[in-house]
Amino acid sequence: MSAAAVGLEDAEATPGRPAGPWLQLWRRLRRKRIAMIGLAVVLVIYLMGITAQWTAPYSYREQDLTRGLEGPSADHFLGTDRLGRDMLSRVMYSARTTVIITLTVIVTGGMVIGPTLGLLSGYRGGWVDGVIGRVGDIFIALPGLPMLILINASLAPRVIEATGWLEENSLLSGLVQNGVPSYLTVFGALSLFFWVGSMRIIRAQTLQIRERDFVLAAQAMGATTSHVIWRHLLPNVSFLLILGASTALGAVAGSELFLTWFGVGIQPPAPSFGAMIFEAGSVRTFQASPHLLLVPSFFVVSLLFAFALFGDALNDAVRAR
Amino acid sequence: MGGQNRIIVIMLGVLAALVLVIGGLSAVLLLGGGGDDDAAEPTAAAGITTDTGGASSDDGDDGGSGNGGDSGGSAAASGRLRLPGSDPVTLDPHIAGDSGSAEYIVEVFNGLVTISPDLEIVLDLAESVEISPDGLQYTFTLRDDILFHNGRRVTAEDVRWSIERAASPELASPTALAYLGDIIGVREHFYGLAETIEGVEVIDDRTVRFTIDAPKPYFLAKLSYPTAFVVDQQQIESNPRGWTRRPVGTGPYRLQEWRIGERIVLRANPRYHFGEPSVREVLYELAGGSTLTRFENGELDVAFISVNDIDRARDPNSDIGPLYQEFSQFTISYLAFNTQVPPFDDVNVRRALGLSIDRNLIAEVTFKNMIAPATGILMPQLPGYTPEDKTFQFDPDEARRLLAESKYGSAENLPPIVITEVGGGAEARIDTQAFIEQWREELGIEVRIQQTDFATFLDDQDSGRLQMFNAGWIMDYPDPEDILDLKFHSDSELNDVGYSNAEVDAILDRARTEQDTAARLALYQEAERLIVEDAAWLPLYFSRVHVVVNADVEGWFEPPMVIPRLRHITVNR
Amino acid sequence: MAGYIIRRLLWLPVVLFVVSFATFSIARFGPGDPVSVAAGQYRDPEVLERIRAERGLDGSIFEQYGRWLFGDLYPGGSGGGSIRGDFGESFIQRGFTVNELIRKRMLISAQLGFLALVVVFGTGIPLGLLTARFSGTWIDPFVISSLLFLTALPVLVIIPPMLWLFALKLDILPAGGWGGDGFAGIFDVWWIGGVIAVPIPDPHLYMPVFVLSIGGIAGVARLVRITALEVLTEDYVRTARAKGITEAAVALRHVLPNSLLPVVTVIGFALVGILEGAFFTETLLGIPGIGRFSIEAVQSRDYDVILAITVIIATAFLIANLVIEISYTFIDPRVRLGEAVNA
Repeated sequence: MSAAAVGLEDAEATPGRPAGPWLQLWRRLRRKRIAMIGLAVVLVIYLMGITAQWTAPYSYREQDLTRGLEGPSADHFLGTDRLGRDMLSRVMYSARTTVIITLTVIVTGGMVIGPTLGLLSGYRGGWVDGVIGRVGDIFIALPGLPMLILINASLAPRVIEATGWLEENSLLSGLVQNGVPSYLTVFGALSLFFWVGSMRIIRAQTLQIRERDFVLAAQAMGATTSHVIWRHLLPNVSFLLILGASTALGAVAGSELFLTWFGVGIQPPAPSFGAMIFEAGSVRTFQASPHLLLVPSFFVVSLLFAFALFGDALNDAVRAR
Repeated sequence: MGGQNRIIVIMLGVLAALVLVIGGLSAVLLLGGGGDDDAAEPTAAAGITTDTGGASSDDGDDGGSGNGGDSGGSAAASGRLRLPGSDPVTLDPHIAGDSGSAEYIVEVFNGLVTISPDLEIVLDLAESVEISPDGLQYTFTLRDDILFHNGRRVTAEDVRWSIERAASPELASPTALAYLGDIIGVREHFYGLAETIEGVEVIDDRTVRFTIDAPKPYFLAKLSYPTAFVVDQQQIESNPRGWTRRPVGTGPYRLQEWRIGERIVLRANPRYHFGEPSVREVLYELAGGSTLTRFENGELDVAFISVNDIDRARDPNSDIGPLYQEFSQFTISYLAFNTQVPPFDDVNVRRALGLSIDRNLIAEVTFKNMIAPATGILMPQLPGYTPEDKTFQFDPDEARRLLAESKYGSAENLPPIVITEVGGGAEARIDTQAFIEQWREELGIEVRIQQTDFATFLDDQDSGRLQMFNAGWIMDYPDPEDILDLKFHSDSELNDVGYSNAEVDAILDRARTEQDTAARLALYQEAERLIVEDAAWLPLYFSRVHVVVNADVEGWFEPPMVIPRLRHITVNR
Repeated sequence: MAGYIIRRLLWLPVVLFVVSFATFSIARFGPGDPVSVAAGQYRDPEVLERIRAERGLDGSIFEQYGRWLFGDLYPGGSGGGSIRGDFGESFIQRGFTVNELIRKRMLISAQLGFLALVVVFGTGIPLGLLTARFSGTWIDPFVISSLLFLTALPVLVIIPPMLWLFALKLDILPAGGWGGDGFAGIFDVWWIGGVIAVPIPDPHLYMPVFVLSIGGIAGVARLVRITALEVLTEDYVRTARAKGITEAAVALRHVLPNSLLPVVTVIGFALVGILEGAFFTETLLGIPGIGRFSIEAVQSRDYDVILAITVIIATAFLIANLVIEISYTFIDPRVRLGEAVNA
């Protein structure tokens, strides 16, 4: 929130060696054991998701109705759910869903809008700053969740229909099943609501940097706005961007849980952590078959915790520059 | 460094104080709960753990205080029933269309006729009814001892005014035409073309005559629905907006208190025309959550059993085993095919899907047999029900044969199939997931599940956009007409599967006016057989309700549909 | 400063206008409408049309919005329209005005949110200072990681085990619901010897308040830790000490105010977090608050209820933000309004 501690230096002063500060950051991060553990956990779960198709012992939908709600056994390491589906396989495919969501968010530009507007607003000032700030006021005032559900209910059915048509008339497949159109709608909407925070942080930082000598010098030499932003300002806020991205990815992975709860996203029987937790989410179910909740929760909490630890360490590393 | 230390010390002091306060409060709370006898003035915490404190005589008193204090006090008397409930959408009988609201409405209001616990149509406000030989005129004579809760006597004019209000254009009731539309002049009134209803005449102070458009044996059953209930004209006219907050009816109970999201309290009506009910106060807890937990905490007298606890409830040796009861419901769940769109325009595809799902196994595995596999469309206890199974039995070989025989020939040639269902969360109904897996295994057909919210589902259903969907039907009155004619006659507005079979239409037409009950039911049985064979629906399950009832409560029953029941129950404490 | 506040206040109606119109259009754009939901299984299309006309759902979207803003929304209403604070009548719960439906629920959510806020800052600030004090020892990372772990526990994951433990197993807390009657009702009074009154939070409050606050505690603690560490190394603190000012004065005049500023900035964020948490907490624990109600309203497309909630939350948020901005200037004179913190 407070950007004051981030050090400043002119990236253009060291052309050809852009890796310099990054390498420093990495080294600082390497020394933090907890950050490395966090990173490792994140990578393991992501790898599990990416390779689920080949490594999962069963298909996520393969059911054995005679073996429902079993505890761990030799052929089902984490037990089975109500339909006798393998919990381990469903968890692995859930990790795949998380990977897909994260990709979808990057595709929809959820992490680009805020910083771009922040840079523009902070650097240009004047009416540009005014307009962006006031529009930000509007979006930050809207209650996010109900709006999200509303937008999903209003737009998603039609987007899904359109994507289904696209699937039928092209070689793409599995888009709807994996909830891609639904996530596109929702994260499109999410980035509409949540760009304001990062915009304000980047703007504050930009306000400080634009008075620095190297920026003033570039301006004096007649550099264009886009040149100044791209070559001078962006490198100096890039650490903040990385920091924001690591927080955002964790938040996105976590938001899948509540989005699924409202019926957004992946279509069953394809699993996701949210869907698995939703199914096991009543206290009586927990009492009768705790593994239904504990298994997916273990993985999703590990993932979120790892994201948080890594983000915290990254935060320290960035600020310590 | 000293300054830093001092700040830290101050702040640690704050933290310590906080811990002390929170810890102290928790300790007090625990003490207050455990040491019930010491606490002279029971706190809410004490109220909750009261029943672990033993069967002391002030049991009821504690429970009352625990539920908010202000309604306690006098509630200490015996005859208090505590039930789980949910907020009604409205208490206006003329616009309520959901069973959740009807549950309260039928206890507070009455109509000319009602439905008895044995599901017979019986007289209620009316003392007698005379049906003209052509079956068109119904002349009701009112009882002379019916009083509104405020003491005013009910007259034939009240009946006429109530029907006119229910069908008025201003009220715009969604149920008016469905239940009163048979009366001559109701449609004209509803669309604002006539000031009054021609078919409702007040003969004298105690006599009212209804004229309907065709002889309809189920007309009396329709009058048992809240849309035809009698309301108090004076109250509604003096307080047109707020009257449902404390409605004046004629029923065995009157509404004492309604705190949205918290509780509803019904109080026995001492002047009720069939005598004051035995249970003097009924408290509905509206908070939701696990009712069994609250039952076990002694907060409720009745609780619903979920699939997680059914094994324990069925075990006669368990703590709740002896309290467990099971009742069937007039509710069916089904898979519906839009018979106008491919591939369901071919009856063999529909039949193949029906033959390749093992409903018995799925009911056992996923629902622990808490629901009964449907044997047809008409539910047990409904007039016309026959016990033999008319539905498709699990037979994958036959299913494959029929699929090959269909005009599509094989699974590869089928267009994509999407099954839609209402879902709040993304996890599909567990049985739907089991079905689509069986279709994939047995027939090689990939069916995609599409979940939507209720509003979208209704919209898509109305516009015929759904290809195949999972839904349910709750009977409104105990007559097969309410499901077979409404859902499958090709002229019916509610026929949302585009089903059209001239033979079925002809049978249903004949049944509409057949005056002989046995012959009429036989016609419906024939129609049911044809519809199931045509696989317009795949009937899945008949619902059953599973409850545990406190040993103090006598005569508890869960009727298969909403009917007045509280006055038939007693509480022995 | 007065000019700035007036400018912001004038901006408020514009934002609200845009917010309400956006919500209005999105709600009506989607499939399904409240009339259809309310009708349930009685779906005669002619009847539904008739009801829509009666309920003012005909005409263009601008006409409908105009009616919502200025018009007579329901028979017997004040006829003032939403602009005068009469948000119409519920489409689903007919006979109830939107205002009376949401007033009580708002009160319940506000009480929960307030208590959660108190817990967040009441435990977050001391924990942050604690970790700053023990920076460099094992306590610091231990406390911070523990707090981060709590943050990583989604509400949906933590509620079933908590309910199981406290309501079923130990049987010391109710399994949900709301016991309080209004503001005073959230505390029960316990008399010691009939003389000393001890306020005890209603047992229905413990679980929701805990669940609502765990997310925020870690954030506040980390922030306080960072600023406390920074402030203690600032020049003016050293100068003050060098001048021989007592340590208590340094603490009170320099460290506390400067550590407080960033904490104030996150009150807004904490409130948003609590509000979002309330949607799940209220639903899962059966609390009749505004979070649960707004989700029900969206699912049944109860247009006027959705709009009222959106507008009220937006108003509250905007005013809270303005108040926080103004309060900066009192805490930290270096901040000029409309500059670094604003926008």
